Amino acid sequence: MSSMHLVSGSKELRTLSSLPPGARGTVHRVQARAGDRVDRLMALGVTAGAPITVLQTFPGVVFLCDQTELAVERAVADTILVRPAEE
Amino acid sequence: MLRLRARPLRIALVGNPNVGKSVVFGALTGRYATVSNYPGTTVSVTKGRALVGAEVCDLVDTPGVNALSGAISEDERITRAVLERGEADLIVQVADARNIRRALMLSAEIAMYKRPVLLALNMIDEALARGIAVNAAELSRQLGVPVIEMVATEGRGLQALRDALPDAAPLRIPRARDAAARAAWAHELTARVRTVSTLSLAYMQEALSRATRSPITGIPILAVVLYTMYLFVGVFGAQTLVGMMENDVFGRAVNPAATWLVDRALPFQVAHDFFVGEYGLITMGLTYAVAIVLPVVTTFFLLFGFLEDSGYIPRLAVFSDRIFRAMGLNGKAVLPMVLGLGCDTMATMTTRILSTPKERLIAILLLALGIPCSAQLATILGILGGVSFAAVLTLFSVVLAQMFIVGWLAGQLLRGQRSDFIMELPPIRLPKLRNLVTKTRMRVWWYLGEAVPLFLAGTVLLFVLDRLDALDAVAAAGRPVVTGMLGLPPETAQILMMGFLRRDYGAAGLFHLAQTGQLTGVQAVVALTVMTLFIPCVANFLMIVKERGLRVAMVLLSVITPIAILTGTGLHYVFDAFGVRF
Repeated sequence: MSSMHLVSGSKELRTLSSLPPGARGTVHRVQARAGDRVDRLMALGVTAGAPITVLQTFPGVVFLCDQTELAVERAVADTILVRPAEE
Repeated sequence: MLRLRARPLRIALVGNPNVGKSVVFGALTGRYATVSNYPGTTVSVTKGRALVGAEVCDLVDTPGVNALSGAISEDERITRAVLERGEADLIVQVADARNIRRALMLSAEIAMYKRPVLLALNMIDEALARGIAVNAAELSRQLGVPVIEMVATEGRGLQALRDALPDAAPLRIPRARDAAARAAWAHELTARVRTVSTLSLAYMQEALSRATRSPITGIPILAVVLYTMYLFVGVFGAQTLVGMMENDVFGRAVNPAATWLVDRALPFQVAHDFFVGEYGLITMGLTYAVAIVLPVVTTFFLLFGFLEDSGYIPRLAVFSDRIFRAMGLNGKAVLPMVLGLGCDTMATMTTRILSTPKERLIAILLLALGIPCSAQLATILGILGGVSFAAVLTLFSVVLAQMFIVGWLAGQLLRGQRSDFIMELPPIRLPKLRNLVTKTRMRVWWYLGEAVPLFLAGTVLLFVLDRLDALDAVAAAGRPVVTGMLGLPPETAQILMMGFLRRDYGAAGLFHLAQTGQLTGVQAVVALTVMTLFIPCVANFLMIVKERGLRVAMVLLSVITPIAILTGTGLHYVFDAFGVRF
């Protein structure tokens, strides 16, 4: 069993910052104009298809991306587009 | 292939941050490179020799890298330089077995250097505990390089790693267009070789991990951690152990024995004064370094090492991000700041993990300005612990407020930008006793090597000045500032002067003054505040020169010194005006 299948649901995309704790999904893409942010997130594994679980939303956004626990500020979470998993 | 060569085979250990490169390095070379549980423990290269079979190899431990191209930090550039300059004949890529997806993204970049590679899948025990299994044989077939499963902290897989070195080969990875293409390839290969079951045996770690990062439980936990630190370092170290060392070991044994010996061997007054007099090498220099500071440094490093290895410190970044943002930094800066409590000089080097030059400069400034190192913390707690808790609280509030104001101003005034707060949180782990003991021992030795010579040199300087009747001149010269502005006894002038050499040496002098009742509580708070705000020590100053250049170091010095003195003056007048007593 693989954790890596692409979720091809019909649900619309949401920003990471709009999801409640416990929500799951997969990364669609990082929507940032600044190249640095995309580079750094990608190097940490936040790339298309990576499974995501939101762990905490205050004071910062903490999420599990594949097997890496990441903490980001809200402005960064605003630019990560997630395709929520089907219930 | 290993074959006869003119120089030792050069092997570089490369990998994502916090995957255990330094553990593998230590196991292969027998040299200890600091090991902790957070990304960014290693920020410079460490070299060592290892014997593999009959061949001598030069090993290089490198700072962890998430990428070798694109936006990368200063420590990542150091690793890239090792690869780019062809300083490695062979690369051992160390990977966290849990997280091979990220490791493979890095492999795709390492492949471009066309060196023989060997992949060490480390921490397979942790991966299994979390229900993750990697098919190493299949991975090895796909990449065309040996893949060794390891638990480096227990030495498992080390011999297999040594044995496989001759089989290292260039990675067979299709050349990718860009980072996104490399990520897609890594994603696809991971799906083929890794299985993840929902069964996890790491409940305890996961529960702790949750508790330490959410505010409702995290803030009380932080309070408990700080209080434990106060009890263990401030009470047990600074009072119980220091008392024992000072009164029993030095007061009853070392100093009387030294006095007896000196008076027999060198029966001159000068010799007596030089070794065991008021400014004696043994009675002052050695007593300060070994009896007053050493116990606190040791207890601090023990507890601090525990916190480092548990993975707790990076979690503080989640709470403090907003505060640091007001100072032109981001939550990541919590790491060098907390490390500064151990040693500001080392922490100044750790600022390399920050992303922009502006952030590094502000962090270096704040470290030099406000963060007391373990040795100084020792003396602060030693002196003020005897005054009152309110005195301790006043000192730390004033210093923190000053750091915030200066940080905010620096954030506004300096050009450049703040980078995004994006930080990896390491898993919570139970620290290994062996690493804790080794790390503490290394740090205590390092402290002794670093501080004792300076303490002795400072004592000799004081002795000479005293002989030349120059101490009174120093006191006279310092009078307008010391007694006028700060309201301190004139003898404090010489102590503040020594504080320039090392803050903790100056603080040890204050400790002595306070013990003999020459300082009131208010004076102790003022003097310690001024001392805390000074540049920590000569070593720290030299590190700033090394990291940011002489010009920047001089600017920092000329900003920090007036801030220190003016803050002390302000405090003196405020205490005076309101009749504050501690």
